[in-house]
Amino acid sequence: MEAPPVTMMPVTGGTINMMEYLLQGSVLDHSLESLIHRLRGLCDNMEPETFLDHEIVFLLKGQQASPFVLRARRSMDRTGAPWHLRYLGQPEMGDKNRHALVRNCVDIATSENLTDFLMEMGFRMDHEFVTKGHLFRKGIMKITVYKIFRILVPGNTDSTEALSLSYLVELSVVAPAGQDMVSDDMRNFAEQLKPLVHLEKIDPKRLM
Amino acid sequence: MQREEKQLEASLDALLSQAADLKNSLGSFIYKLENEYDRLTWPSVLDSFALLSGQLNTLNKVLKHEKTPLFRNQVIIPLVLSPDRDEDLMRQTEGRVPVFSHEVVPDHLRTKPDPEVEEQEKQLTTDAARIGADAAQKQIQNLNKMCSNLLEKISKEERESESGGLRSNKQTFNPADTNALVAAVAFGKGLSNWRPSGSSGPGQPGQPGAGTILAGTSGLQQVQMAGTPSQQQPMLSGVQMAQAGQPGKMPSGIKTNIKSASMHPYQRTLD
Amino acid sequence: MEMFRSNTVWYIICQPPTACGYSTGQLRFRGVSQMPVAEGKSVQQTVELLTRKLEVLGAEKQGTFCVDCETYHTAASTLGSQGQAGKLMYVMHNSEYPLSCFALFENGPCLTADTNFDVLMVKLKGFFQSAKASKIETRGTRYQYCDFLVKVGTVTMGPSARGISVEVEYGPCVVASDCWSLLLEFLQSFLGSHTPGAPAVFGNRHDTVYGPADTMVQYMELFNKIRKQPQVPVAGIR
Repeated sequence: MEAPPVTMMPVTGGTINMMEYLLQGSVLDHSLESLIHRLRGLCDNMEPETFLDHEIVFLLKGQQASPFVLRARRSMDRTGAPWHLRYLGQPEMGDKNRHALVRNCVDIATSENLTDFLMEMGFRMDHEFVTKGHLFRKGIMKITVYKIFRILVPGNTDSTEALSLSYLVELSVVAPAGQDMVSDDMRNFAEQLKPLVHLEKIDPKRLM
Repeated sequence: MQREEKQLEASLDALLSQAADLKNSLGSFIYKLENEYDRLTWPSVLDSFALLSGQLNTLNKVLKHEKTPLFRNQVIIPLVLSPDRDEDLMRQTEGRVPVFSHEVVPDHLRTKPDPEVEEQEKQLTTDAARIGADAAQKQIQNLNKMCSNLLEKISKEERESESGGLRSNKQTFNPADTNALVAAVAFGKGLSNWRPSGSSGPGQPGQPGAGTILAGTSGLQQVQMAGTPSQQQPMLSGVQMAQAGQPGKMPSGIKTNIKSASMHPYQRTLD
Repeated sequence: MEMFRSNTVWYIICQPPTACGYSTGQLRFRGVSQMPVAEGKSVQQTVELLTRKLEVLGAEKQGTFCVDCETYHTAASTLGSQGQAGKLMYVMHNSEYPLSCFALFENGPCLTADTNFDVLMVKLKGFFQSAKASKIETRGTRYQYCDFLVKVGTVTMGPSARGISVEVEYGPCVVASDCWSLLLEFLQSFLGSHTPGAPAVFGNRHDTVYGPADTMVQYMELFNKIRKQPQVPVAGIR
């Protein structure tokens, strides 16, 4: 969802329960530069990284009420990078003390025939979009600032339009289940981005 | 013993580098304040504060780290004091401490505050203990009440004054945008592949042939993918008039889109 | 994701025992040729024969290998909405590529993924059911002979041995049509008359670069063939 393909993420084979901790916010276009400056100061010293990705969301409908969702993402500016397949579970919303959104996640690197294969499995494409933005890291935390583009002609990533006048800002950590101190660290970091951006735990179900 | 020494060395190194970073940021901040004070903007100052705050946090983390031995248990004793210039010391402290003498040592190796200050502190603590729990509680509550009153007054003033109005233009984010973007990424709100004609995208409802307008202007909207900084082309130059008064507001077309996109699998209620 | 060697070509042949439990028999490649049967040999003995031949040739043992395959079929609940017959999906692993997982459909695409794909299959339990009984695998030894890597393995399904797989890899070449004849010669040297015909699996793709997915497709077809054959009622199996 927010990551460029697996070249950016550690491949953690073998652990069944990896959870993604997530905080989200947005920043208007005209304040983007200030945010980038601040992030460059706060985050690990690395080459400023930009990414341009194309994500396609697939659904598999079964007898269960909710369809199974898989996200296939490819990099449009890095040739030869593998495709990134991602499964995200339902967010665990119960704990008020937990400061971040927590959900199960499985990340898989695949070859390029992923879309054909998913169709063969019975998945159908639901929607797709293009993301373009910047990537920062601080320790195990990953911060992405990106703009979402709607694809006007299905399958054609050249004709796109921006979805809004803001950039989406996401702070995420992928860690084994049970490590709740992670959300405290995330909250402390989020404090340092105020008042430019308000990163908070947003329940997507509220927005349906 | 060996291990502890190594730990001590390692943590000292970490502390040194953190402290050096902190000193550099402080230095650049002071420089900024002294030399660019006429051009300085509040966001820039905030940035510097945020940087300092981040570095202090990291410093704290290094200190709290379990591998860091208790520095409290280490004692520093000056072995030789001399009033002569010490070149090595000069070099190590970047010219700040030229002499390791009787004047320098009490300040640099201090572990307790001045005797006068210590006396004052002791005085204050005995005073505080003398008051008694109930009275102390009451005083605390009074203080809290006064603080909240003051805060309320300040925020009311801010809202009503002119400067409040000016500041809203400086808003850096729009909560409605946040919600729209999160919804788009979470379940494709506004991105559905199946687009009903006419009410898609930022087209205004009621505009005749909005679908064709969209198709026609998609050439204008083609965003340059390569190397565009934060500048984005205006969404629909033709429709700017309706949006000019609300910078950053989500075009209402999106909501219309959802109303008619009844095929969306996630939808249970059409709102 | 590990990088795949891009300089090898693999061919697979198999010699399943026939109904009387002997070694020789059909050749794997779809270019099938029937062999006269020999009496009274078990799977294990045939494998030993082959490996002895290889050692005589001068090949060196270089560890072991394992290729396994699990079958999944679309659960009944998903079928109704799709209105199509359930498809079989194979999920395979190859010890030559320990960080990868291969998923394929017969006559369909073969996906190369990392091992988290297995975790995903667990999550997809409701939609794809695993046919536990049809897990099939082949295990054996690897032999290195100059540029050739030969893997001779016993194909087992559950507790019973069902056949033999022989895989030959020619390192320096990437394109199938370039080295097929060389491979054929090599095979003849230790398989004698059991050498297979041209591999039909590359039919129209003779000149494209060979990849690990092609190997897995061949294994899948081999396993399917073996699955369909009647089980060998011979004493001393395994």
